[in-house]
Amino acid sequence: MKALRDALAPLAALVILLALWETVARVFSFNPMVLPPPSTIGLEASRSAGSLLSGALSTGRSALVGFGLSTGVGVLAAIILSSSRVLERALYPYALFLQMVPIIAIAPVLVVWFGHGARAVAVSSFIVSVFPVIANTHTGMRSVDPALRDMFRLYGARRVATLWKLELPASLPHLFTGLRVASGLSVVGAIVGEWVAGVVEGDSGLGILVLVANRQGNTALVFAAVLAASALGLLLFGAVSLTGERMLRRWHPSASGS
Amino acid sequence: MRISGIRRTFSGGVSVLDGLDLDVAAGSFVALVGPSGCGKSTLLRMVAGLDRPDAGTLTFSPPLEHTPGARPPIAFVFQDAHLLPWRSVLDNVALPLELAGVPAPERHASAHALLQEVGLGDATSRYPAQLSGGMRMRVSLARALVTRPRLLLLDEPFAALDELTRNRLDDQLLALWKELGMTVLFVTHSLSEAAYLAERVVVLSRRPARVMLDRRLALPPERLPALRADPGFAREMGLLLQALEQGEAA
Amino acid sequence: MRGRLVGLLGSLVLLVVAGACSRSKEGAQQAGGSDAGGAQAAARVKLALNWVPEPEFGGFYAARDQGAFKQHGLEVEILGGGAGVPVLQMVATGQVEFGIVGGDELLTARARGVDLIPLFAVYQTSPQAIMAHASRGAKNIQDVLSSGTIALEPGLPYAAFLKKKYGFDKVKVVPYDGGVAQFVTNKDFAQQCFITSEPIAARKQGAEPVVFLVADEGFNPYTAVVATRRELWKTQPERVKRFVAAVREGWRAYLDNPAPANTVMAKLNTTLDAETFAAAAQAQKPLIETEETRTRGLGSMSRERWETLGRQLVELGLIEKAPVVDEFLLPEFTQAPGKTSP
Repeated sequence: MKALRDALAPLAALVILLALWETVARVFSFNPMVLPPPSTIGLEASRSAGSLLSGALSTGRSALVGFGLSTGVGVLAAIILSSSRVLERALYPYALFLQMVPIIAIAPVLVVWFGHGARAVAVSSFIVSVFPVIANTHTGMRSVDPALRDMFRLYGARRVATLWKLELPASLPHLFTGLRVASGLSVVGAIVGEWVAGVVEGDSGLGILVLVANRQGNTALVFAAVLAASALGLLLFGAVSLTGERMLRRWHPSASGS
Repeated sequence: MRISGIRRTFSGGVSVLDGLDLDVAAGSFVALVGPSGCGKSTLLRMVAGLDRPDAGTLTFSPPLEHTPGARPPIAFVFQDAHLLPWRSVLDNVALPLELAGVPAPERHASAHALLQEVGLGDATSRYPAQLSGGMRMRVSLARALVTRPRLLLLDEPFAALDELTRNRLDDQLLALWKELGMTVLFVTHSLSEAAYLAERVVVLSRRPARVMLDRRLALPPERLPALRADPGFAREMGLLLQALEQGEAA
Repeated sequence: MRGRLVGLLGSLVLLVVAGACSRSKEGAQQAGGSDAGGAQAAARVKLALNWVPEPEFGGFYAARDQGAFKQHGLEVEILGGGAGVPVLQMVATGQVEFGIVGGDELLTARARGVDLIPLFAVYQTSPQAIMAHASRGAKNIQDVLSSGTIALEPGLPYAAFLKKKYGFDKVKVVPYDGGVAQFVTNKDFAQQCFITSEPIAARKQGAEPVVFLVADEGFNPYTAVVATRRELWKTQPERVKRFVAAVREGWRAYLDNPAPANTVMAKLNTTLDAETFAAAAQAQKPLIETEETRTRGLGSMSRERWETLGRQLVELGLIEKAPVVDEFLLPEFTQAPGKTSP
């Protein structure tokens, strides 16, 4: 019942927005090349369902690999950064550098290193999405309760035990915050990666479909592909949020049903 | 345990301890009272080995050395429970043994036994977020005692709890001390709590801390709630308060 | 490529706003600028290019700087373009009076209900081509497509044409990035190009490309076509005609002596040196001035060519129905005034 009520407000907003959009597009009779009404986009989406689906699968696969890399490498980098103040000072600026990389500018280099195709696209997705994972996990590990650190010291815990039994679990809420941000970014990174490093024929993703639709002046299909990409990002975001909620349920009295 | 001429100055030049001496007999229950910020906690941390004195010595006889793999001889109870929210009550209590490399069945049995003693025998599979403040503190106490420490350090452990809960926990602590026989060093800013619990109370001045009063209380070894209304209890409280006020003014 | 991002997403929003604004602007223009010409102040119009200043646009700069526009009572502002600049939409929404588009783009837009009309086609033979390394020994486009990698802009009509004709089973197709860096470093790399641009750049970097015109394969849309909205033609036909006449004079001047306009363009586009400008201007000459233009005038367009293109686009599935040529190809622009049909 509650879930239904929670979904009602955004759903109503969506319906109103679509109605408004449809009306504006029709009343002012914008050319569909400029602003296609939602109905036209829907029609185009169903007509091109096949290429949208295969594009979403290809982009989704690259984004998933990029996201997985971000999770693994991000946590590892955070562990290294947190292991000593010296390392943190020495390396953090370079982690920050990843955040600043204009991916569209560095993508040609990815092509040189990995060639065109899914691998380069996944790496682009990784570069775009890894920083939030590093930064948040690092913050989480740095903000571990000092009393708990003292306790682990008092009980003679080894470095690995402190990491595994205290620092990593304690930074889980932060990690998931980072992962939620990274989930959306990984799709963005994959799309942008496809624009430079993707393949146009065969296993081509939503990014290529956007280019094709744009080149052919099919603005409705551009919208449909962009929406499909957003849906992909939302899907990944939802999966991450759900996993996070399940893993952290016990931390919060509200979710435990006590 | 002997503390002699201990000195500690924090970076920034604040002298917290400037040559303090204190002897504590094995198996005794000593309360440390003093104005807030006087260096009680710092003293406790140095005893635990979490902080180092700038000068002076800390000696234990028999020696309290923590050999890796063995059960650590010192335990510490903090101001708040400081439990790991991702671990069940049982696993929280078993943690010190786990870090010492005690196998799971054995450490779980020990944890179970202690939880039974603090009255949480049926809460072992619950999580910290599901417990009340008092219950959490009892888990924390059980965690400290699970290693059967020879020295138990408590840093204002029940300060955040309501009076009734605190009294109940005080009784529980006393019972455990009687049963396990460890040395207890209990830091508090509550005079009545100190008088009720300890055999001996040390009143400290404001920083740098000096000993204003070191008194073996003239109270019966058996402490019962009725004691709080006893005239002897009131007299001891008066003496302690006087020393505390002097230390504050000094 | 970066421009493409702006072009795709930014322009959509921008154009909605601009589209709404253009309605009121139009009214003002009609009220103020009558088509009398003569002693009145020169009419200000804008021309949007779909790429950076290059010899491809030499005639327009020549018309501006050597007085042709002025003589026809026009003051023309030329807007340089780049990848992703939505020239078609800019013309359609009235942000600019004239724009340079591809013939295939114009037909696709018409099929989607955008009423643009072509006025002047710079290239009679499309300069669109495929270039590959000479070392591969390819004799034609089919050979190029039989191995290696080829960079093509996604959605390009002639890519669809080549795919239909030869198939892309044996070649890896990747997005065209606007440069020649990958081509120069990779011997098995082929790419789309303008015969007047990338091959010259690749040669300068030491590569030895062979170039095959797509036109020779049977797909030859008019390229670099000056287009406008029908509304402008309806309300101010004289101004449109004067613009086309000035453009034709500009191109005549540029073909005869490209040096002055090249100097101007070289200042705007510093990525090419004088030598490259001169080489490109020379290379494109036969594509612009043909047997047909000698009789019908520079920039002229034929019914048959537009019909063929429409049919081809339908065959490739890019549009559903070929636009009716008579609806958009006006007799005024099939040949220069004073010339006769062959």
